[in-house]
Amino acid sequence: MSDIVQMPGEQNQSERLALLIDLERCTGCKSCEAACKTEHRLGPGEYRNKVVWASALEEAGLAFLTLTCQHCERPACLRACPVNPKAIQKDAVTGIVRVDESRCTGCGECVIACPYSAMGYDAKGHHAVKCDLCVDRRAEGEATTACASVCPTQAIRFGKRNELLAHAEKSGRLPRDQDHFLLGPATIYLERTNPENISTASAVTPARAHPGESRRPSFMDGLAAQAKVLDMPPAFPYGESRADTAPDRVVPGGCNICFNCCTVKFHFKNNKLTRITGNDEDPLLKGRVCPKSQLTLQMYHSEHRLLYPQKRVGARGEGRFERISWDQALDEIAEKLKKVRDEYGAEALAMYIGTRTGALDNLGYTRMFAQLWGTPNKGGTDPFCATSKSVAYELTQGRVGSGNSYTAEDLGSAGLYVYIGDNQAETRPVYFGMINDWRISRGAKMIAVDPRLTATASKADRWLPIRPGTDMALGLALAQHILANNLHDAAFCAEWILGFEQWREFILQKNYTPEWAAPVTGIAAEEIKRLAGEIAAADGCVIFASRGINQHTNGTQTNRVLMFLAAITGNWGRRGGAYFNMTAGAPIAPNAPDHRRPKMRRHKVRLSPAGWTDAMLHGKPYPIRALIACNNPLAQWPGQDEARAAFSALDLMVHIELFANETSAYADYLLPAASGIEKGEIGRSNDDRRVVWIDKMIDPPGEAKADGWIWIELGKRLGFEDVLQERYKDTAVFWDEVCIDNRMMRGITQKRLHSTPYRWVRQPVASEVAPEIDTLYLEGTSAPGAPDGHRFPTASGKLEFWTEALEAKFNTLGLSALPEFYSEREQLLDLPYMELQHSDAEEGVVSPFCSPATGASRARIVAPDANHPGAKLRAQGFDTELVTGRPPAAHFHSWTHYFWQSQEMWPDLYCQIHPEKAAQLGINDGEKVCVESAHGKIEAMAWVHTGIRPTAVFIPIGWGERQPYNPWRSVNFLTDKTQRDPISDQTNLKVLLCRVSRAAG
Amino acid sequence: MQRNEFPDARLLQLTAAAVLAIVLWFVIRGLLPEMWRTPGSPALYLTGVAGVMLLLVPVAFVLVKRSGHGKDPVGWFNAHIVCSLAGMVLIAVHSGGFLRRPPALLLLALVALAALGVWARARGSRRMAATFASKAPAFKVPDAATRERLRALIAEKRRLLAVLDPQANEGTFSVNLPQLLRSPRLALAYRKLAREESLLLGTRRAVSPQQAWWRPLHMALAWLFVLGVVIHVITVTFFAGYVADGGPVTWWHLTAW
Repeated sequence: MSDIVQMPGEQNQSERLALLIDLERCTGCKSCEAACKTEHRLGPGEYRNKVVWASALEEAGLAFLTLTCQHCERPACLRACPVNPKAIQKDAVTGIVRVDESRCTGCGECVIACPYSAMGYDAKGHHAVKCDLCVDRRAEGEATTACASVCPTQAIRFGKRNELLAHAEKSGRLPRDQDHFLLGPATIYLERTNPENISTASAVTPARAHPGESRRPSFMDGLAAQAKVLDMPPAFPYGESRADTAPDRVVPGGCNICFNCCTVKFHFKNNKLTRITGNDEDPLLKGRVCPKSQLTLQMYHSEHRLLYPQKRVGARGEGRFERISWDQALDEIAEKLKKVRDEYGAEALAMYIGTRTGALDNLGYTRMFAQLWGTPNKGGTDPFCATSKSVAYELTQGRVGSGNSYTAEDLGSAGLYVYIGDNQAETRPVYFGMINDWRISRGAKMIAVDPRLTATASKADRWLPIRPGTDMALGLALAQHILANNLHDAAFCAEWILGFEQWREFILQKNYTPEWAAPVTGIAAEEIKRLAGEIAAADGCVIFASRGINQHTNGTQTNRVLMFLAAITGNWGRRGGAYFNMTAGAPIAPNAPDHRRPKMRRHKVRLSPAGWTDAMLHGKPYPIRALIACNNPLAQWPGQDEARAAFSALDLMVHIELFANETSAYADYLLPAASGIEKGEIGRSNDDRRVVWIDKMIDPPGEAKADGWIWIELGKRLGFEDVLQERYKDTAVFWDEVCIDNRMMRGITQKRLHSTPYRWVRQPVASEVAPEIDTLYLEGTSAPGAPDGHRFPTASGKLEFWTEALEAKFNTLGLSALPEFYSEREQLLDLPYMELQHSDAEEGVVSPFCSPATGASRARIVAPDANHPGAKLRAQGFDTELVTGRPPAAHFHSWTHYFWQSQEMWPDLYCQIHPEKAAQLGINDGEKVCVESAHGKIEAMAWVHTGIRPTAVFIPIGWGERQPYNPWRSVNFLTDKTQRDPISDQTNLKVLLCRVSRAAG
Repeated sequence: MQRNEFPDARLLQLTAAAVLAIVLWFVIRGLLPEMWRTPGSPALYLTGVAGVMLLLVPVAFVLVKRSGHGKDPVGWFNAHIVCSLAGMVLIAVHSGGFLRRPPALLLLALVALAALGVWARARGSRRMAATFASKAPAFKVPDAATRERLRALIAEKRRLLAVLDPQANEGTFSVNLPQLLRSPRLALAYRKLAREESLLLGTRRAVSPQQAWWRPLHMALAWLFVLGVVIHVITVTFFAGYVADGGPVTWWHLTAW
């Protein structure tokens, strides 16, 4: 707050406009940066706002804030301007400080003078650039600034300064004093709340105290990395004038990148996409979007897009291609496929269909194509991400996904949010914003269990830095404590759980006490008991879980344990209580007519595509000779060396993609795909069961085609045109006539989707007029599609913990339905681990958990001895836990690495490392490090960060060595395809032993 | 008002052309008639005058920008670039190729000025842009003592301003050229306080030395150049023999009149 004494004629405070930035809400997602650059068409290096760390990296806290102009009462920038009259002006009424670019000579004195470093500079146009609180935008009738309109967490608000302050005061929030220089800044920063302050080895309150120096990780601003973005001219519409990009058409739709599935509006001028904004007419998301949604603007105009079909002319992996026509490409592919089929059988074709291609392609066109062709070997990314949770949901609840919804009455009414292995703030930023808002406004508690202090954990009341791979032990101990002390919801357990007694007996007999779990998890027994008590006592507890739980060899069983924990505390089938493991998945599963489906001769090799490499390399258990990939397996599949060797051994490799990447280099044919508004599709399956429709609004660039078009055209050459019909190239027709032909989806017609200005409907709805259901499985209701009286969609209508049928299924694999603790084989501690008895080259047994019939390995839980694999690796110096995972919110797998602004935000592959370990190894923040596991070696930039277990490092996925801006080898060179969950075939990507050193040079 | 862009590419082309012209001049100089090698010859004299005339444009830019009457400071800035480079070429020609005499320092100053300006524009701009959100002090815990000193300074500035420009608001005021000419003592006193405030804010220290000091250095060099030109004119006019150092006085404005 300014303590300058106001002088006559100075700023009238009542009309003074300002931004309010709430540190308790900001998760550093950078959506505001994306919105600002789009709104003002700022190019690389030009900023009006930027997210900074408000706490030093040495503190166990990630406090973020958006730095932008403070619109000071005594603006130092204005006074430093040597031009007369000034090129910087201050509005006497609103207090807005603006640059008059027509008068600015670019001397940079204002940039130097601003102590907040909030004055930007256009290095190409040579003039100062600064926030003007979106004067132009507001003059066009918008109520708020671009940054505030999109902020996923409502951390940024715009309005009259006095009113913002009054509102903050009413909410009991304190503005922080950042007027160190008596400049009278208008921007208000709200201090974080300070509920408790714990700092022990096993529980930490993320830093809320006054921060010291604000910093960003060094690698983010590395000049070399930033120069790569600066040197590439940004495509349209960045750098264009406001008039040249003023829209003449605005169409609602959705983002098709990630699981938040934001609703957006697409703005066009002369049929060219000029802007993507949040859809403010959406009653749920209210215009809030994450940066990715906005940055897809850079996908549609990217110079890196594939524009025409190409055929390989060099060696595999070399990346030399020649341009060919679509007809030539599809004719030749069809002929080669027939040859493979004649020689090896239909199952010798594998199809790897990533979620990038869209749900209609993934669940529709390609499913039917595979059925018509007769191959069971169609797979996607799920076994790397979430099959363990899907299997666990199917077994326990009878259907995948939580029945709860992101409404104030449902998830908003919880008293406690527990995040276990789920960094929602960066993976579904808008949903997290809603949860965090409810937490703040209702005074709910939030606890995060994660090896890292993630952006999510930074908002929690307590962060429990668990040993990776031991969440099952935590879940078992929480359950044991609750059951041993009769803290469970006995009525719910008796009425709605099948096998509760068997499980209770098992837990108590196994003695999975908090004291047992403490050394395993690294969390003190008292802390485990405290958490158990809080979960049991909460009036509504939502347990969020995600990849941190799923991506383990114990993923299915850990998910089940956590589901059981939620159920026994009554947090299932109620508002404000849930086990919530990410997306529910839209039940789209169209089938080709039976008579058109050749009988499958063999069962699927393995559920996980990583399990196909032996079939490609050695023809075992049977040959896979052709692969059509619609994604980037050569960055995603664990065990990259073997994946590359396998791809090199194929007779035919077709790659359908938006951008050329590592996989493209191995392809015989490279086919350019369309995306999102270039083809029409639904958004990704998301947490909230919302199905978001995206119209086809523009044509794809060059000769690129929609994935559906490609499969239909290829199908014609193989005689499938009676099923994959020409008219299904229109995705809207395909949707209405094929995709929603089931009782869960039947009501989500094009007509209904287009009846709202936000284009979504929450499934299930059995008819076009059926109401949407916010919360499924409430007491007194029957599950949609289930017989009357079946509250849950299991065969019994109850949640199933243990049944004889379940036991028989598990026994097929040599396991029990009662989850017994085991962890990963590469651990710093001797813990039981899972040993698979069949390699991928063997047939194994037919999995009782998959459809269609799929090969799986029998397995056994092994007690560690002195010679177990983990101990051997430790003896070889692999002394660090490697955790992989999603990068921050601006990135998602490969494709955002082709967006210049994502690269500007997060340029290099990084390795989060604790300061203690970094000091031991002589590694400084921002230096290049070498990380080596038993499976491979990569390099990355060090991000020295207290918010990670001292024994662990974290490296994100998504980077690849052929990306245009900042290429790095994928982290999957360090992972291992053989460490998989026998039940769900999920790969362990969350704890492998590695060693870290300073990179040479 | 539309901004008059002067893209880096054009600047680099122009600079390259100027450098090429100077190099070319030094290469072919020996092949040219004697008058192009005789200091002060009519040709070289007029070239020098033309060069100075062109170099008056940057001086005018400095004044117009601060005068309160410049309608298009960016246009003047662009003119200062073009005229400086052209002037530099003419001054190089005017030197007659005598680079071991003291007046060659003026040419050196001009080259340094141009080099600094081009660097600032083409490369320094990136540093300038990268300054955004980079200063450490922004969110530090406020220092009470500094605040006290600042408070006193502001009060002093307000007291002075009440005399210097009673209508002005201290929060948005900085001394301009007309005030400096009208009330030099007060204006300089005010500017001293403003500098002190700036020092307390530590903003120049918070950026790289190149970014902080290129412009003060550029301006200092420019004033040194102006001073050098004045000295050069005085010495060749009034101390011609001394300048000729025993040789013939060949400069046209003395021999002709």
